[in-house]
Amino acid sequence: MIKKSSLILVILIFVFLSSCNKKTEHPNRVVIGIPADVNTFNPLFASSVDEGAITELLYLSLADFKWNENLGELEAFPMLAKSWEWASDSSSITFYLRNDVKWSDGEPFTAEDVVFSLDVYSDPNVNSRLYGIFEILYTDEENHIDVEKTFVVKSDYELQINFLPGSTPNFLDIVHPVIPKHIFSKYERKDLATAEDNFNPVTNSPFVLIKWDRNQTITLGINKNSFLYNPGSIDELVFKIIPDYTARLTQLKKNEIDLMELIQTEDMEELNDMNDLKIKTIDGREYDYIGWNNIDPKSYTENGKITPNNLFGSREIRIALTYAINRNEILEEYLYNYGVLAATPVSPIFAYYYNPDIVQYDYDPEKARNILSDQGWRDTNNDGIIDKNGLEFEFNLTIPGGNPLRNYASTIVKNNLKAVGIRMSIETLEMGAFIDKLIAKSLNAWMAAWYIPVPIELKAFWYSDLQTTPLNFVSYQNNYADIIIDKLKKPSPKEKQRELYFEFQKIIHEDQPATFMYWISNIVGINSKVENIDISPLGAITHCWEWSVEN
Amino acid sequence: MNKEFLKALLKRIISSLITLFLLISFLFILIRLSPGDPAQKYLSAEFSPELMKKVTSDFNLDKPVFNQYIIFVVNIFRGDLGISYNYRLPVLTVVLQFLSFTFVFAFLSFIIQMVVSFYLALKSIRNPGGLFDKIVSKFSLVAYATPAFVLGLFLIYIFSVQLDLFPSSGSKALEFDSFSFAGKIGDYFWHLTLPLITLSSAGIAMFYKYLRDNLEDTYQQNFILNLRASGYDEKIILKKHVLPNAIRPLLSVAGIELGILLGGALITEIIFGLPGMGRLMMDSVFSRDYPLVIGCALAAGLLMIISNFIADLIKMKIDKRMIKGLMN
Repeated sequence: MIKKSSLILVILIFVFLSSCNKKTEHPNRVVIGIPADVNTFNPLFASSVDEGAITELLYLSLADFKWNENLGELEAFPMLAKSWEWASDSSSITFYLRNDVKWSDGEPFTAEDVVFSLDVYSDPNVNSRLYGIFEILYTDEENHIDVEKTFVVKSDYELQINFLPGSTPNFLDIVHPVIPKHIFSKYERKDLATAEDNFNPVTNSPFVLIKWDRNQTITLGINKNSFLYNPGSIDELVFKIIPDYTARLTQLKKNEIDLMELIQTEDMEELNDMNDLKIKTIDGREYDYIGWNNIDPKSYTENGKITPNNLFGSREIRIALTYAINRNEILEEYLYNYGVLAATPVSPIFAYYYNPDIVQYDYDPEKARNILSDQGWRDTNNDGIIDKNGLEFEFNLTIPGGNPLRNYASTIVKNNLKAVGIRMSIETLEMGAFIDKLIAKSLNAWMAAWYIPVPIELKAFWYSDLQTTPLNFVSYQNNYADIIIDKLKKPSPKEKQRELYFEFQKIIHEDQPATFMYWISNIVGINSKVENIDISPLGAITHCWEWSVEN
Repeated sequence: MNKEFLKALLKRIISSLITLFLLISFLFILIRLSPGDPAQKYLSAEFSPELMKKVTSDFNLDKPVFNQYIIFVVNIFRGDLGISYNYRLPVLTVVLQFLSFTFVFAFLSFIIQMVVSFYLALKSIRNPGGLFDKIVSKFSLVAYATPAFVLGLFLIYIFSVQLDLFPSSGSKALEFDSFSFAGKIGDYFWHLTLPLITLSSAGIAMFYKYLRDNLEDTYQQNFILNLRASGYDEKIILKKHVLPNAIRPLLSVAGIELGILLGGALITEIIFGLPGMGRLMMDSVFSRDYPLVIGCALAAGLLMIISNFIADLIKMKIDKRMIKGLMN
């Protein structure tokens, strides 16, 4: 009897406690579901996409960038700098800063903060994510910016930045989130990565960090003193960390979160029927590709020698492989056409620079067979596998584990290649081990994705010098492509640049160093109450201070 | 007896510490030799080979594994577990942040497992082979065989999506700070209800099965028959004679189960978005955050040893002969 009454008592207490939690209404709050927590709020060390997005909401840059859809390029707008002026010979640029910007602790923002930030970004003792990229400025042998030669602080609100003579000045290389000098100068440079202020940011933006519950939520509140503050906009932005995709989707459907990215295509039918949800896509930022190692991985890893790959060294063979693969089937059957076929690494979003004359290598196994045969690959021993000089055409396609699209696609590819007499096995590797092998260039063939930067960056991925471009995983080498890439790094009129980009796309299409599979759309689900969201190739979580909530 | 007990205790602690040291040494070498690199997370178009070299040398990863191991051992004896590459905080600070949640979650689950399984086992044994016994035995098999990710998603679908009774993820509401003290506790339990059911169901089934079978075995012993024949009350037979004998084998399993729970409940934490040790360990392994992997393993190992130890102490309390066994 006593036992039963205590059980009832416990249940009653539980019900009572639960009923205490009446949800308090927060009309101007937007909740975003993200899969993983951030590890820092300091833009110096923000390495993941979400870290980048959140730190850029907290720390503004001299200029703001928006996407010009017609041209397919970034357009710069004033932000911390109200204007800027290039020297007539482009040897320097002068920024005129706003004088009404204050850090969230009340200290004024000045040119000294900008100088300090760029100095710290390039400091070898800091290991910032941008270390080693400031080639256009005066730097020492350790790539550290020479502050004396580079910066001329004319006043608190006027700053001249000098470029290294002979370099190609680029606005984007010097515009990065600015951090407060009065906060971070008190730390030794080597200790900046572990500074306590990385977790309690003093910001110069319309947002301040209110609360950070590790692996649970990040709550940003509006800073009403900011020059960007708009009384009609949202006043709280919460990032809710939900690692499981299904749980994230459930919360979106239940309106517990208002926005989530990377929705899987198989869930679209159900979501499209939901009235309180709008679906947008971010197109053309990520493509899947099959990398054919252009060089022999064994001789490169063992003695650094560059020799053509036995199977994939010839561009005719690589073109035949692309002809043999039914990319459209994967796009239609798995991605439900949330994407487009890729022809080159230049995305269609770069409208002005995208070469529309490139003709896709459409699925044509007959053509593939003919090319292979012309190249001497024939089934001489009637075992169903083509061979040449005693070498059978067989290889491993390595894929990183945990991606259902690539599991599906690799099976299709395997069957497609079998139909033209090529034996392919699928090998799955854990992501860390996979990247290790990619960097070492020890894989023969693999399927992976690239999340491309904006604006177009070619040198990091396609330049011949394998020592300085560790991301050229396929070891693509073409002198003519190098000349074009070098020319693109130099200032030239828009029309000329367009011609160069067109030419590059033509060359890489003809060389086919990889089979470019498809551009995959990032599907974003947004609660209809959230307004003024600008979804562009720059992402979904940008300019959040402009968002508002319909009440 | 006290001296003997202390000697046994000390011997046990020393051997446990040696085991723990061997474990983390093995783990250190294993993870260093496995492929992957903490500098990988910097890969992007802006990535420069200089940065990779800098990161590698700053983390001492360019040194031979043996030298790295020596540095690691020296630091361990100084009480320095290093700085987490990801969190950029001392490993101990990070582990303690996540351990607090895991402690609450694991102990709650453990208590639920114990209480429910005891209740079911005692009720079943009153009428072995009866309807209740049959139903619970069948259900316990299903509960034990159902993986956490299946049960978790099922519970979310029924109680969160369809009935909207419980939240589907997180350990507290966004408005948590504005609640009263009672409200905070209620909110916490409200959020943890589904995760606790998910985490506990297999444990309940396991303990139930153990306890029920042990109880049955004990009831069949001659001395129980003797006691019954002597006219002892059934309740006294159960409390004084059957339970102590039936519990003893269970305690060893309970110690291990508690240790496992304290090491983190990975699947449940991921499905319900909870900030526990399981997720911390997994993230640190995938991002090659070597110091944090070691820190997590050390914490999990220590907790496993402590919980086993507690189980042994309880066993000794029940049966004094155990001290001798412990010494051997």
